[in-house]
Amino acid sequence: MYFSIDEVIDTIRAVGVETFDIRTITCGINLMSCADPDVNKCAKKVYEKVVTIAKDLVPTAKKLEKSYGIPIVNKRVSVTPVSFLASAFTKPTAVPIAKALDKAAKELGIDYIAGFSSLIHKGINKGDQILLDSISEALCTTDRVCSSVNVGSSKAGINMDGVLRMAQIVKDVSLKTADKNGLGCAKLVVFCNAVEDNPFVAGSFLGPGEPEAVLNVGISGPGVVRAALASSEDLDMGGLSDLIKKISFKITRTGDLIGREASQMMGIPFGIIDLSLAPTPAEGDSISDILELMGLESTGCHGTTAALAMLNDAVKKGGMMAATYAGGLSGAFIPLTEDSGMCKAVENNSLCIQKLEAMTCVCSVGLDMIAIPGDTSEDIIAGIIADEAAIGMINNKTTAARLIPVPGKKAGEYVDFGGLLGKGPIIDVERHSPAVFVRRGGRIPAPVHSMKN
Amino acid sequence: MNEDNSKEQVVVTVLGLNKPGILAGITKAIADSNVSIEDVSQKIMQGYFALMMITDLSTANCNFEEFHNRMQKAAKKLKVKIFIQHEEVFKVQHRI
Repeated sequence: MYFSIDEVIDTIRAVGVETFDIRTITCGINLMSCADPDVNKCAKKVYEKVVTIAKDLVPTAKKLEKSYGIPIVNKRVSVTPVSFLASAFTKPTAVPIAKALDKAAKELGIDYIAGFSSLIHKGINKGDQILLDSISEALCTTDRVCSSVNVGSSKAGINMDGVLRMAQIVKDVSLKTADKNGLGCAKLVVFCNAVEDNPFVAGSFLGPGEPEAVLNVGISGPGVVRAALASSEDLDMGGLSDLIKKISFKITRTGDLIGREASQMMGIPFGIIDLSLAPTPAEGDSISDILELMGLESTGCHGTTAALAMLNDAVKKGGMMAATYAGGLSGAFIPLTEDSGMCKAVENNSLCIQKLEAMTCVCSVGLDMIAIPGDTSEDIIAGIIADEAAIGMINNKTTAARLIPVPGKKAGEYVDFGGLLGKGPIIDVERHSPAVFVRRGGRIPAPVHSMKN
Repeated sequence: MNEDNSKEQVVVTVLGLNKPGILAGITKAIADSNVSIEDVSQKIMQGYFALMMITDLSTANCNFEEFHNRMQKAAKKLKVKIFIQHEEVFKVQHRI
């Protein structure tokens, strides 16, 4: 049986009108074989390995785009957390590794390379220390390198020394990139329960349980969901959920096809497909628009968390059947500046940072791309990170904070980061001080895993 | 659907304002590439012409890329939009 003309046009319309695309193919590369006490020798090996393994990434993606008529927006690379390599360094800097990664990204023609990362949820070892000391300089002297640090987990609790340290680093990166509105912070994510196979930057890295090299795929699709919901006024909750499941199935299955084909062409195993609905600043490619089509006057009003919970769950249910292997973050992203609808909701005064935090309880991945006033203290930033990490820790889910203090700007002012990072209003934070709490030090003990109320 | 592995099935879709000669122009370009047409359906949707063909490229005198370029050229001449896609993408979206 062949396809009907309506089915074919349905697929073409999804790409042409509803901005369906494959958001990213991310090639994970294990760097452990590059270990060397001499950071410069290590950097050379890192560059060689990355450009060798990922050399076909961009040509393969371009070929698949043409073959199937589906845009593949980003081609990216993630690597072993660089702190693992840094443990061996005799000189206390990992900046040459960041520069080698940046050079490799440029050589490959990819926009971001991620994995300048460290896992410090239980404590900070020598390699972590070197990495943390290098983040600011690395992010300010490279263009395409992304960094992430895991400060908590459901098994280990939250390392509050790590949280405070990260708040200081966020502040420092913001000031050092003040000429670009603190843009360096857009490349820095603080996680709780970070996953090892996330294809989405800035928080991507190749975990220690992963193979030598792997391809992970991230789908997109808010525009397609939005278009389907546009004629859904008469559906009840079950009907809405069913509609979202069907669309999620289609877009995930396409991502799965691209992942399998790319894997075969590059001779690199296919890892996972990430079932996240990832918005972009493009008009109509917005999670907020979907929530409003579900019946909210403006995102952030009471009912938003429930609507988002249903959306996120339906996306997973539809996607799971379509994916050979699901993984990564898998959930709707609710970034602020990357989603024009979310920005409108802030301008409407219906969405505030506290409501955004509540929304992160039911979706991935946390407070993402949130521009905050430049004068926000490191104690308040630490408080925001700790709150977000606590949500992840207690709920056994990944949460993160990608906060951008914009130097010299106040709440309500506007900031433009350009491209996929988007633009939007600066959101206000609560001004009372958590200083004594966040400076107590030590770890918040791991939570009890029964008695879940 | 394609159970025969020797085939390379590609879906050709044409969209544009209806006028005489579209089907003729497109099928000529397909024949010039020695590509066979296995299924055709066509309809007028709100004044627009929509044509969908399932083709087999296994006998083609050029590769997919060249076929893609030739068809784009033909479409440009006819002032219509054309989409050339391997059938697998429709299979995964519309068949379980």
